[in-house]
Amino acid sequence: MDNLEFLHETEKVSGEKISTCYQCYKCTNGCPVAAEMDIVPHRIIRHIILGNKEKVLTSKSIWTCLQCITCSVRCPNDIDVARIFDALRKISVKEHCEADKDTWLFDSFFLDSVRKHGKLHELEAIMNYKLAKRDLFSDAKMGIGMFLKGRMGILPHNVKDRKQLREIFKKIVGERLGR
Amino acid sequence: MATLTYYPGCSLKTSSKFYETSIKEVCSFYGIRLKELSDWSCCGASAAHTVDETLAHVLAARNIAMAEADGNHFFAPCSACYNRSKITNEKISKDKELREEINKLISPLQCLGTIEIKNIIEVFHDYVGIERIAREIQYDLSAIKVVPYYGCVLTRIPGVKTFDDVEDPVSMDTLLWAAGTKLVKWPFKMECCGAGKTLTNKDTTLRLSSKIMDMALTTGADMIVTSCPLCQMNLDLLPYLGKAEDNLPVLFLSEVFELALFGRLSGSGSHIIPVDGAVKKVKKK
Repeated sequence: MDNLEFLHETEKVSGEKISTCYQCYKCTNGCPVAAEMDIVPHRIIRHIILGNKEKVLTSKSIWTCLQCITCSVRCPNDIDVARIFDALRKISVKEHCEADKDTWLFDSFFLDSVRKHGKLHELEAIMNYKLAKRDLFSDAKMGIGMFLKGRMGILPHNVKDRKQLREIFKKIVGERLGR
Repeated sequence: MATLTYYPGCSLKTSSKFYETSIKEVCSFYGIRLKELSDWSCCGASAAHTVDETLAHVLAARNIAMAEADGNHFFAPCSACYNRSKITNEKISKDKELREEINKLISPLQCLGTIEIKNIIEVFHDYVGIERIAREIQYDLSAIKVVPYYGCVLTRIPGVKTFDDVEDPVSMDTLLWAAGTKLVKWPFKMECCGAGKTLTNKDTTLRLSSKIMDMALTTGADMIVTSCPLCQMNLDLLPYLGKAEDNLPVLFLSEVFELALFGRLSGSGSHIIPVDGAVKKVKKK
């Protein structure tokens, strides 16, 4: 344990006291996607404490997480584990070593749409994501099905003061959302 | 007559439009006035807090600030909107530094974090009450077996005192019982549907939502009832995600009230998994 830098960074970004973990495995036992993870939640926590930065930040697990928050409400030490996974996503993107780009890509298009309109234009975010993935057809049937059921809006809903909202976005995330 | 500041959120204006229609009809019957928050914006949902924590608070705070001026309770029927607004409201009221940072960004708006945020279950409990619900039902739903499905983010809000238990909530059970349905006990009230992975990792959503659907079938239920637009959508999309058969209809909580009060569903055409079979079980009292 000679490298505490990564632990401190993750604690700072997440706002959680990670070092209080005593490896009870509750987070892993309740996780609905633990079976799909390359490193299960309680081990991620342990690796953070041990300073195994690269192992953690390049892990697929931090992107497999669904943010269902089961781990967080079950932790006997009140560690918001889901929030730590959230923080790890941010750090791994900042360091350009994320193992999975899809979640961040979709979330960026989601927020891009909110920046433009103030409200999410579902169709726009989905189409932008599909275009970026060069995969327009795999979910076309689902999209058309939703459209026929009146569950896919063609036009965006806009807030009145769009300029103010864009300014706010610019102040916080700069031009970063544009990828 | 109670008046609530109504925050629909993005889903209730597009993919779950029929949820809004249903809520409006039922609230109007009970004399609850819904005053839609003027010029509301997206709460940031799951995307904003993943990308940037400050952005997540700013997006939620903008709406809260505008609602605070109205002074009514803030009604957010979508679980994600409820969750995000509740977190920001709580944090801003307690954390002076954060409050100042956020208010600088949303200026001239000012958010104090003083608003009372209610989900749809709380609205039915607090503004109608189970006695009145039971007394005023117009149609007999006793032939319909339901499983209440709460989903993740309605009660799992770390650091915030939640309105119901995080492991075994019962507030929706009580409402469904008062509305006259036949409640079925099941262990999947709080299982995750796959959340926002519908596009980015379809297999996960298919696996998790199928598990929930299969459990509901095993219990002999006629329908799954939820209050969350994303849960409803993921489960209702199962035929497109790859589970072609053995699917039960997934109704919004307010739609069950529609059945109990009016004997029909205004949004039946928006359901992907057909609801007709379940609706046919409604009897005139």
